[in-house]
Amino acid sequence: MKHRTRLGVALSTFALLVAGCGSPGKPVDPAPVGSVERPQPANAALENDVQGGGTADQSCNPTASLSPNGSIPSGSTMDEIRERGHLSVGVDQNTFLFGFRNPTSGALEGFDIDIAREVAREIFGDPNAVQFRAITSAQRIPALQNGDVDIVVRTFSITCERLEDISFSTVYYVAGQKVLVGVNSDVEGIGDLGGKRVCAAKESTSLKNIAAADPAPVPISVDDWSDCLVMLQQGQVDAVSTDDTILAGMAEQDPTVKIVGERFTDELYGIGVPKENEDMVRFVNAVLDRVRGGAWQQSYNRWLLERLGPASPPSPDYQ
Amino acid sequence: MTSTVTPRGPGVPAVPPGQPVPPVPPEEPRGPRSGLAWLLELPGNAIRNITKSAATTPGRFSLIATGLIVLSLLVGLLGTVSVQNRANTIDDLIDHREPLAAAAQEVFRSLSDADATAASAFLSTGSEPPELRERYELDIAKAGVALARAASDSGGSEAARQVEILSQQMPVYTGLVETARSNNRQGFPAGAAYLREASELMRAKILPAAQELYEIDTERLVEEQDDAAGVPWLIALLVLGLLGALIAAQIHLKRKTNRVFNVGLVVATVAVGIAVLWTAVAITVQSVLVGSGSGDGTEQSDLLVRARIAALQARADETLTLVARGGGEAYQEEFDELFGQLAGPDGNSGLLAEAASSTEGLDSAGHVDSAITHATAWREAHEQVRELDGTGDYDAAVALAIDASDEQSAAAAFNRLDQELAAAIESGRQVFVDDTTNGSRALTLLAPGFAVLAVIAALGTTLGFRDRLREYR
Repeated sequence: MKHRTRLGVALSTFALLVAGCGSPGKPVDPAPVGSVERPQPANAALENDVQGGGTADQSCNPTASLSPNGSIPSGSTMDEIRERGHLSVGVDQNTFLFGFRNPTSGALEGFDIDIAREVAREIFGDPNAVQFRAITSAQRIPALQNGDVDIVVRTFSITCERLEDISFSTVYYVAGQKVLVGVNSDVEGIGDLGGKRVCAAKESTSLKNIAAADPAPVPISVDDWSDCLVMLQQGQVDAVSTDDTILAGMAEQDPTVKIVGERFTDELYGIGVPKENEDMVRFVNAVLDRVRGGAWQQSYNRWLLERLGPASPPSPDYQ
Repeated sequence: MTSTVTPRGPGVPAVPPGQPVPPVPPEEPRGPRSGLAWLLELPGNAIRNITKSAATTPGRFSLIATGLIVLSLLVGLLGTVSVQNRANTIDDLIDHREPLAAAAQEVFRSLSDADATAASAFLSTGSEPPELRERYELDIAKAGVALARAASDSGGSEAARQVEILSQQMPVYTGLVETARSNNRQGFPAGAAYLREASELMRAKILPAAQELYEIDTERLVEEQDDAAGVPWLIALLVLGLLGALIAAQIHLKRKTNRVFNVGLVVATVAVGIAVLWTAVAITVQSVLVGSGSGDGTEQSDLLVRARIAALQARADETLTLVARGGGEAYQEEFDELFGQLAGPDGNSGLLAEAASSTEGLDSAGHVDSAITHATAWREAHEQVRELDGTGDYDAAVALAIDASDEQSAAAAFNRLDQELAAAIESGRQVFVDDTTNGSRALTLLAPGFAVLAVIAALGTTLGFRDRLREYR
């Protein structure tokens, strides 16, 4: 036994000398992957610097619109649209219940879509004479300014800041901002979101309201509202905060989320019209007057009654 | 060093067990100076000896003989190794390099197709069309298998990095697509959002990595083809040098001995001459064939692959423009750009026209011509789609874009174009395999033949000089 040990020692000494006294090294890591970069919706970004006031800006009276006029004189904006053969409307195709593409039929449906069709019905007598153009929240004002669309019906809150660039119809719906979180979250409102990642669409009033909240959350901006739901489901944001209408559509798609807190803003939805087309504003207001008479309730009952409870159309306010 | 045994210098063998450790032998009295000096004097002495013996004729003869024999054997060895290397390189092109580039191309193609197909499936309404689902599944399966092949030799950190990106992100992509599907089935718009996220991942990360991998592998293939088609200057120089030396030796012998022929040296010269001719012919034939396998095969395939990928990506843009429904200007601009690369802004230039002029006379020319026809038809169908969408007839625009059963649709024209390009690429690959295999055959037996001829040259030289040297005894 003793001999054997000595031989072993001698051999290992020899081996050490041959190997040049280096350490043997470590086994190779076959998968040197420390963390995983999650996939993100296109253009998702951290917003450090949100400009402009949200709904809180009260420097004007946002609800007062031009008085209604339902006639279509020749040479008017509506006359040009009639010549063209279709009304071009900027809408959303990603917001469940308000403006979304029904994957089964491929058709656009929702409360906003119904309102847009009413405008077409008034011009053409045909609610289907509409060319829908899906736009993101951030594209709403540029689309109107560039003349890409005649009107925008897309959960579009009237604010004093926006009134500087475009015109709005009378208010056709009043929503309010709330918070959407996972069903197990103990967040109870916007006040509990300090330092947490909260998602909203780019250039939306919701994003500005989040940025203005105290304590300050970390605003994450995306192109479309449904991208927020994706990020919440993937655990990339802690909450989504926007109008209760949009949140209701998200909650409808996922039983593991809940809407919490009270409305902390009033979002006054209007139809956006290019600033120079005053005749169109008056015409749309006339359409909305008619819609308030019945079509509004019909559409509300179809899309929103179950989720948001009974409601009636807001009364118009003119300058 | 934690060992506690008696210190022992390296190289001293371990003492057998049971024996006492012998004392370290004392240093020899000879100082280091004398050994070193002896070593330093060695070359000087050798040169002196050689010059001394070169002064006599037999001494010079044996020097020349030794030189020639060593040179013959050296040339034989280097030549054989170098020819064998060349043959191995060519076999490697066929067995390895080209299949690898083809695998990388398949990864790139099937992933581009999966992206385009997923977008089409989204546009179609009702239950998911089974043919689109099958196409997507086939694309993903092919991409997976091709990636495993491409990963088998991703030597070089850059290629390995791309393979890592691909193998990490592909499962993530398919996961997103399946989430999109299950949301779509329930009628939720979140499905569209998941699909957009999947497409973003594909376009921002996966496809660029696949493209990079394809480019790296193609570049390697072309480099190796250039290597295999180049002139082997070293062998040429050595073998011609040997031939020259043999002839010079014979002239020298003739002057010294007044004999015109020395049979041994003549045999050696003839052997080297045969080696020169054989090598020259075989390597020329082989280089030309490998060169044409590269020029008429690989380069054409590469051109057509680039055309096919541009077409696929343009197709994805065409459908995504409709998916975006009015918000797709960026996709439309990209379509115009990609189609410009494919067929030129006028429809008569771009990659397809380039391929048409360079495949003239090759088997793939017919496919390329049909591809150009189908590209024109696709362009026309696409313009109709844009017009329908522009005038508000969205449903008709979608139908014309994705209904492959309608011969006039953009989908049908694109599918025909894709098939023709696939056939043309396959034809280019066949040219590569044919020419390169024939090139490889031109080198058959050259390596052993070269060795045998070099040995004959060495033996001839030995015999030739042995006879002459005997005369001096």
